[in-house]
Amino acid sequence: MEEKLSYYINRAKTLEVKQHEKVIRVAVLSSFTLNGLEETLRVKCDELNVNCITFVSGYNQYNQEIFNEKGKLYEFNPDITFLILDVRDILDRAFYAPYSYTVEERKQLIARKISELENLIGTFIQNSKSKLVLSNSKSPGYSPYGIVETKTDYGIYNMITDFNSRLAEHIRNQNSVFLYDFNAFVNRFGDNNVFDYRQFFIGDIRISFDFIPALANDLIGYVKPLLGLNKKCIVLDLDNTLWGGIIGEDGFEGISLGDTSPGNAFVEFQQRIFSLWKRGIILAINSKNNPDDALQVIKKHPAMILHEEHFAAMKINWNDKISNFKELADELNIGLSSMVFIDDDPVNREMVKTQLPEVLVLDLPNDPSQYAKCLIELNDFNILSVTEEDLDRGKMYFEQKQRTEFEKSVTNLDDFLKQLDIKIKIKNADEFTIPRISQLTLKTNQFNLTTRRYQEEDIRRFTNDKNMIVGCAQVEDKFGDNGITGVFIIKKDNETWEIDTFLLSCRVMGRGVENGILGYVLEKAKGSGAKFVKCQYVPTKKNIPCQTFLEDSGFDKKENEWIFDLNNVVKLPKHLTVKTE
Amino acid sequence: MNSEKLYSIISKVLGVHPSEISDQSGPETIERWDSFNSLVLVDELESEFKIKFSVAEITDVKNVADIKRHLKNHGISFS
Repeated sequence: MEEKLSYYINRAKTLEVKQHEKVIRVAVLSSFTLNGLEETLRVKCDELNVNCITFVSGYNQYNQEIFNEKGKLYEFNPDITFLILDVRDILDRAFYAPYSYTVEERKQLIARKISELENLIGTFIQNSKSKLVLSNSKSPGYSPYGIVETKTDYGIYNMITDFNSRLAEHIRNQNSVFLYDFNAFVNRFGDNNVFDYRQFFIGDIRISFDFIPALANDLIGYVKPLLGLNKKCIVLDLDNTLWGGIIGEDGFEGISLGDTSPGNAFVEFQQRIFSLWKRGIILAINSKNNPDDALQVIKKHPAMILHEEHFAAMKINWNDKISNFKELADELNIGLSSMVFIDDDPVNREMVKTQLPEVLVLDLPNDPSQYAKCLIELNDFNILSVTEEDLDRGKMYFEQKQRTEFEKSVTNLDDFLKQLDIKIKIKNADEFTIPRISQLTLKTNQFNLTTRRYQEEDIRRFTNDKNMIVGCAQVEDKFGDNGITGVFIIKKDNETWEIDTFLLSCRVMGRGVENGILGYVLEKAKGSGAKFVKCQYVPTKKNIPCQTFLEDSGFDKKENEWIFDLNNVVKLPKHLTVKTE
Repeated sequence: MNSEKLYSIISKVLGVHPSEISDQSGPETIERWDSFNSLVLVDELESEFKIKFSVAEITDVKNVADIKRHLKNHGISFS
């Protein structure tokens, strides 16, 4: 349940300055009064254990703020900037009297507004490293032409749809700029609710108080992936969650799942989960059940949308859910803090909330008809750009399951590795790989020597620096393509190459891939005439898996650096091949 | 009863203790009573008492007594 705005305003006043590990600097600009949004953002960030530091522009000062290179906005140095515009400002006088202008003039008006905004966006990018989130426009909602509006060439509704699509097109390839679909927000809640004439007249408020918390929630959807707080895995209960009833008692034919009510609510819910799986969210099961009964439904029930191949791991047993959870985290090699738990039983939910506070527990409503709505209201699955790896993740996890089974069937590790037939392809960073490279630096925790986090803009800057090398590794084996799973960033000096970043996705850890990539880097340094390669190991809570990697690879410790003398022999693992593209 | 409700809302929105609130309390005596918070107050009163104020009523309010007067017009009685 969303709280009212007054709750956030009061809560914000008593918010203690806490030293959270994560900090976000947020700037809010708008063409009208957006009071209360800043307070709500701060409280919501605090709930996520994030320190939110804010800057709010003066009333309708967004143009001045953005064009003033020495102004307060850039001095504030935001990480993310929200710019919320209103249809009345975009259309100006044409909002009331669109048809005092000719078709041509209406087109020119929109073209001019688009070019103004393009200019504004361009100026902002030049002056700030901040992400920019710009709202599109809601529909005007009324036309003096009434029922013939939609028959009118470039009418007022058309003006706004054209404005929105041109803005979207302009922003599509700008990595640090995002379009917030404010029109969809208004569709969701209704213009008659979101726009309150009284608040408009008294305070030039264009988004009513009651909807500020919901708006803040949408905007936090951008903050979460920026700070790596997004969720990657949904852990599901079965009985009364994926289907109605209890399979052990009601039997295969007795559970509710199908075309008619109440079974169709569960089908709808599964469809929504399936669409998240398609987007790269991992699914797992944590259910107290007789595995044979439950698997029969998953494998054979004609109305099931989710099948065996959609689940990266299944814990269907009589063990307690907490230990199942820990096993899932180990098996999938992802942190509990990346998981969302969905279970109809409030007792289970409470248990997970108290014992595994890192897990996000969905407060599922009692009525299954509300399950799907509850799931799609989550803003926790957002990513800043969709990579190919995201779209194929489901398949990759299924291949991983097969790999694990193969590993169990082979008796020694060397045989296993040889038979895996690993091929590493080294690629230079380019437009196609930069998003994935940034993504890996942002989320890789275990095999990451220095754990330096880089946004796409940073990687792009390194790529353009002729004294730096940004490379990545695509890893394939007999079970399939693991995608881009390794990254290295090198700073070149005449004699010494410094490894700024060296990381490997946990997906391919422990198969000699790290040695293959490092061997490649060392050979390349040697080939270019360098004498030494140096690197730091920056210990964190999570990167113990690579603690001894440099030492094992023949690096010597000097003070707080590890140094490899290129006069020494570079050893490459024999069970794999390394190629450059 | 309604008086208590009213005072508790004012107290919550404007951050003053109910005992400090009187009919004469207004923007001059309560620091946080600015134009924005007066709208928040309206919002809270409307959902608590299930009524809608007009713009004229909202802009007319200068103190707590005015709020009571307008609430009475909407059928909310104060003993």
